[in-house]
Amino acid sequence: MKKSTVTLIVLVILGTIVLTQSAFTVDQTEKAIVIQLGRPVGERALGPGLHFKLPLVQNVVYFDARILDFDAKPEEITTTDKKYMNVDSYSKWRIVDPLTFYTKVRTIQGAQARLDDIVRSQLRVALGRYTLIEVVSHKRQEIMDAVSSRSRELLEPYGIEVIDVRIKRTDLPAENARAIFGRMKAERERQAKQYRSEGREASAKIIATADKERAIILADAAKQAEIIRGEGDAQATKVYADALGRSPEFYAFTRSLEAYRKGFGKNARFILTPKSPFLKYMQ
Amino acid sequence: MNWDWEKLQKQQQGRPGGKPPSFDDFQDQLEKFKQFKLPGWKLILPVLILLWAASGFYIVEPDEVGVVQQFGEFNRITTAGPNYHIPYPVESVLTPKVTQIRRIEFGFRSSGRARVQNFQQGVSREVPEEALMLTGDENIVSVQFIVQYMIKDAKDYLFNVYDPSGTIVHAGEAAMREVIGNGKIDDALTTGKQEIQVQTRDLMQKILDSYQTGISIVAVQMQNVHPPEQVVDAFKDVASAREDKSRFINEAEAYQRDILPKARGEASRVINGAQAYKEAKVRKAEGDASHFLAVLKEYEKAKDITRERLYLEAMEGILQNPEVEKLIMSDNALKQSVPYLPLGQLPRSGATATPKATK
Repeated sequence: MKKSTVTLIVLVILGTIVLTQSAFTVDQTEKAIVIQLGRPVGERALGPGLHFKLPLVQNVVYFDARILDFDAKPEEITTTDKKYMNVDSYSKWRIVDPLTFYTKVRTIQGAQARLDDIVRSQLRVALGRYTLIEVVSHKRQEIMDAVSSRSRELLEPYGIEVIDVRIKRTDLPAENARAIFGRMKAERERQAKQYRSEGREASAKIIATADKERAIILADAAKQAEIIRGEGDAQATKVYADALGRSPEFYAFTRSLEAYRKGFGKNARFILTPKSPFLKYMQ
Repeated sequence: MNWDWEKLQKQQQGRPGGKPPSFDDFQDQLEKFKQFKLPGWKLILPVLILLWAASGFYIVEPDEVGVVQQFGEFNRITTAGPNYHIPYPVESVLTPKVTQIRRIEFGFRSSGRARVQNFQQGVSREVPEEALMLTGDENIVSVQFIVQYMIKDAKDYLFNVYDPSGTIVHAGEAAMREVIGNGKIDDALTTGKQEIQVQTRDLMQKILDSYQTGISIVAVQMQNVHPPEQVVDAFKDVASAREDKSRFINEAEAYQRDILPKARGEASRVINGAQAYKEAKVRKAEGDASHFLAVLKEYEKAKDITRERLYLEAMEGILQNPEVEKLIMSDNALKQSVPYLPLGQLPRSGATATPKATK
């Protein structure tokens, strides 16, 4: 092997060592600061891309530049109406000033401890001013905004930006939940009763109306029937009167005869004298 | 010797994180190449460079985008088709699937698997601590829902948030509870579902946009919404009470529909009966009248004789009856006899006066 080749190889190896020791990349998701013998170099953190440092004396500390989570443990909080609730919140935060962050809290765990302290106490303060139902419903946004902005102020000195503190769950302790279940049950039972009695009421009304209508229909029919019968009787009477009026005397005679015929049946006893017109010819 | 180093680099590049070649291997290779000598690195180097350059080609599938980073820094977005980036270590590429719709379950897990997954039909298991939430009227309701989402901005999605799917879970829980907390339990259980879904979706989108997650919420769908187990019976009873109510009403209406036509039928029967009576009565009268008038006409032609005839016929008819007692007495005998009225026999013999006799 030639001497120049060996020199080249040595140069290349040395070059590679220097390059790997001095060049470094910062990912899009990161920020970095360069530390020279324990002291940060430069005013600002390094963004993503290719960067260089002095080999051996400088080293790089990387920070996550993304939005990070802090999921707090659920905590029992007393509301202004003396009710207890378990509030489960989360925070979204970001390292905005890695230099400050590095000097004050150093790690993500350290930051989360601060977040825990601050967010927890802010939540307590804010929730203590409202009633349970306000927390659950219409005041929720207001509370979260207040906690977020106050936490943001308090955490700014640590190089942390609190983006959002949000109440995830608001649950009731077991005994309160039981009370609510009892009330819900009672409410539903009342409602069920109401439905059933409404049903019975409507049913009774319909039946009564139907009965009434039936009675009216039948009475109407009876009335009309009487009127019709009356008309019939009247017409018949008129017809009789018209016809019989022609000779009341003859009518009385024939009618009497007919009545005798019908009226004197068995067991009748006739005592006839010779003066009777019937016996006129027997004398 | 130069090619040795190149070779080593190539091997490391080919399998990053892999086991570096052991010293023995290295020694073997060295031996081999020493024996090989020619064609020498002048030929191998260009080939290696060519191979290295070729490793920059990549293909972006239709459902993906390519996100190219240059020395770690975001550089450009490439679209579907074959693309090229400067090979390692200068540029690298990520290809997230941006058209795929992903799904997260809240309040339940289907088939006990991970909550972030593609759709799958099957048995599900409730997770009460996630599902139970307070409503604005201080009730508790169990809500199971899913969130469908996709990546709308690959750059934000990849680089802005530490844990995108965890963030969606947080936002989803917070948003649904906020919306449910603003409404009443009956809205969630009955007619308000659509409204709740839309509000939750909008709120989630707002939250996620404020974190610049690059995620688009496609839909929030409520799956199974029911009262908590402890009170579910009471709720079911309300439903059956509602049924009972309409059953009572239906039964009453059935009764109504039964008796009213019957009554109308009865009415019609009564009226028709009366009409029949009327018609019969009138016709009878007319018949009788015609009869009378006809007889009268003949009577008037021969009054006395007709009268006599009719009288005799009638008397004959009466006296013909063998059960009728007949007694003929002279006037004198009648006058002398003490009228004796057998009272004891009265009911039997009836009124036996002698109206005829006086005639």
